[in-house]
Amino acid sequence: MRLLALAIGAAGLLLWPWAAPRYFVFLASLIVVNAIVAIGLNLLSGYTNQLSFGHAGFLAVGAYTAAIVATRSPGVPVVVALLAAALVTAAVGLLLGVPCLRLEGLYLAMATLAFGFVVVEAILNLDGLTRGNDGLRVPAARLGPWVLATDTARYYLVLAVGAVMVWAAGNLARTRTGRALLALRESEVAAQASGIHVARYKTLAFAISALYTGVAGGLFAFVVGFLSPDAFDVFLSVDFVAMIILGGLGSVPGSVAGAAVLTVLNDSLAGFQNYRPLIFGAILIASMLFMPGGIASAVRRLRTRWAGHPPMAPGSRRGLE
Amino acid sequence: MRVLLALVIAGLTTGATPLPARAQQGVTDAEILLGGSNSFSGPLAFTGEQATRFGVDLYFKAVNDGGGIHGRKVRTVYYDDGYKPQEAVANTRKLLEQDGVFAIIAPQGTPPVVATLEYLEENRVPLLFPFQGSPITRGRKWVFSGMTLYDRQSRMMIDYLVGARKFGKFATLYQDDEYGKSFLTALEKDLGRHGLKLVATESVKRGVTDVSAQMAKLQAARPDVLFLVLTPGPGAQALRERQKIGWSEVVMVSSGPLTDERYLALAGDASEGVEGLSLWPDPLTSDRPGVKRYRDDLKTYLPKNEPNRYSLSGYFAAMLFTEGATRAGRRLTREGLVVALEGIRGFESGILPPVTIGPDHETQRQGFWVRVERGRFKQLTDWLRAE
Repeated sequence: MRLLALAIGAAGLLLWPWAAPRYFVFLASLIVVNAIVAIGLNLLSGYTNQLSFGHAGFLAVGAYTAAIVATRSPGVPVVVALLAAALVTAAVGLLLGVPCLRLEGLYLAMATLAFGFVVVEAILNLDGLTRGNDGLRVPAARLGPWVLATDTARYYLVLAVGAVMVWAAGNLARTRTGRALLALRESEVAAQASGIHVARYKTLAFAISALYTGVAGGLFAFVVGFLSPDAFDVFLSVDFVAMIILGGLGSVPGSVAGAAVLTVLNDSLAGFQNYRPLIFGAILIASMLFMPGGIASAVRRLRTRWAGHPPMAPGSRRGLE
Repeated sequence: MRVLLALVIAGLTTGATPLPARAQQGVTDAEILLGGSNSFSGPLAFTGEQATRFGVDLYFKAVNDGGGIHGRKVRTVYYDDGYKPQEAVANTRKLLEQDGVFAIIAPQGTPPVVATLEYLEENRVPLLFPFQGSPITRGRKWVFSGMTLYDRQSRMMIDYLVGARKFGKFATLYQDDEYGKSFLTALEKDLGRHGLKLVATESVKRGVTDVSAQMAKLQAARPDVLFLVLTPGPGAQALRERQKIGWSEVVMVSSGPLTDERYLALAGDASEGVEGLSLWPDPLTSDRPGVKRYRDDLKTYLPKNEPNRYSLSGYFAAMLFTEGATRAGRRLTREGLVVALEGIRGFESGILPPVTIGPDHETQRQGFWVRVERGRFKQLTDWLRAE
């Protein structure tokens, strides 16, 4: 049953470019990119209860790294550009993680918020590398003999990378690191008592989260084809937070759902950007009030009710599924 | 499994079949659909809103009420990019692939416009009269430039200031982006033709409003003329700073895009005596027939909106499109529109001097000199031209 649903879903995703108009192929690529960011952010927030308002900054680091690699060494395979984006962003995440460990709650939010602004300033001032305010044109992604110049080709690239990232996130909980992070989430004190190095694992969570966002940034660069610092503002960071809150903290399918809903909503509001923060804010508040576990837990509750089991007690959370 | 396979094959075959040849996208028997990505939020929101919904649409309202273009009404769709290039890319794709517009009209700002250039050219879609002046739009088959390009503005300014006014020492305060830099390059080149050089240049990062350090350095170089290549916020700040430090012997000259009412309002009494290149006749007081008609249409359709040069520029853009589409005839295609616009010679808009477009696709080459007297721009010269 579950396998069949998975197969149908996969087939749908693979056939999408043939069934949908061109613009929706582009939009689907954006959804996958945002979903990867949401998963990355959820690894941080879902596991270690740290909320970041600086993920637009990580996205920018990844996007610019991939774009600069692709521009400076023409013909480089897209995989190399994405790996570079992942590693550079993870390194930045590690560096940010170290000082941020001392901060919690509101103070952490402030530090990550500041990080987002610092990245934009850095892009503006490193204009020899980033072309500053003028913006950077991203060359088409290349994969061996192929140039991924169409929406469909880029969609498959994004989809393939997205699938790997989803699979990895789903399996993280089975690794030693994943279990350590889970223990941390349940209780820092208990985790420390059982020999988990709290600081080290929290930093690691930051780095992994940044790595995900960096990969998404690299994909973003190739999908959109043009980068400028204006795109990576604080509202984008807030959008990412909204995605995981709407989707469900600590849930991989929830991250994907949240990203899909908000990306489509954002697109349909293209004529009224002024009202966007208002509508997103309302959604955020409404989902916290009426759907505290996000889409993921709402679906879970519906499913258990439908199957005749008593719904799970509120507050009982399991690992990332 | 078999069903899945059948689905795959069905998908592949429908995808592989080319779409049947259709009439021109965005043109039906009853309608022409135009669109644009513009700023309705962010730093240029006022400009964008005025140019499109109060300018372009104003003219089309009048055209539609008069029976349309060859019997077709014009409809417009706009999306907001907030001056962000990426949003402009996504919006432009949406306009083309979802809404199916015929052409892009009057988008705004160098970075957003430049970000969409390649995509529009690849898809052979006319990009009409973008509200930006970087020469990067010149010499492209599918692009018709909007405002007088910066290198032409620079030539008019330098030739007038060195020739008629006999100034010899120039300095520049410019915004550190495509707008500022393309102006700076042009100013240096034009001064070079007269055997002159800029005695000092200082830059302002976008979004920064404090310019006191730059102004102090510029004052030390003792120029006769200081060019301001800025946006209204920092431009007004520079004027106030000059007043504060009592630097009265310098002539402040503002670039074409900066010479607007907003900048004057922000600077208050510090704007007195400022000179500049105005690209548009005064929308409130000019008695040119096209400007009068613009004010009349505004009174008829949008009586609450004050006249301003941004809606006037959009009004002019729609007028030029109408002229091109009328010349292209009832069978309107993108290719046909491009040829028709190229054929425009000596078109009387009643707003600007006669417009001749020709193969270089530049729709505007003019400006005139103004000086601020009691808070308003006073015209000092007739139309200056840089051919």
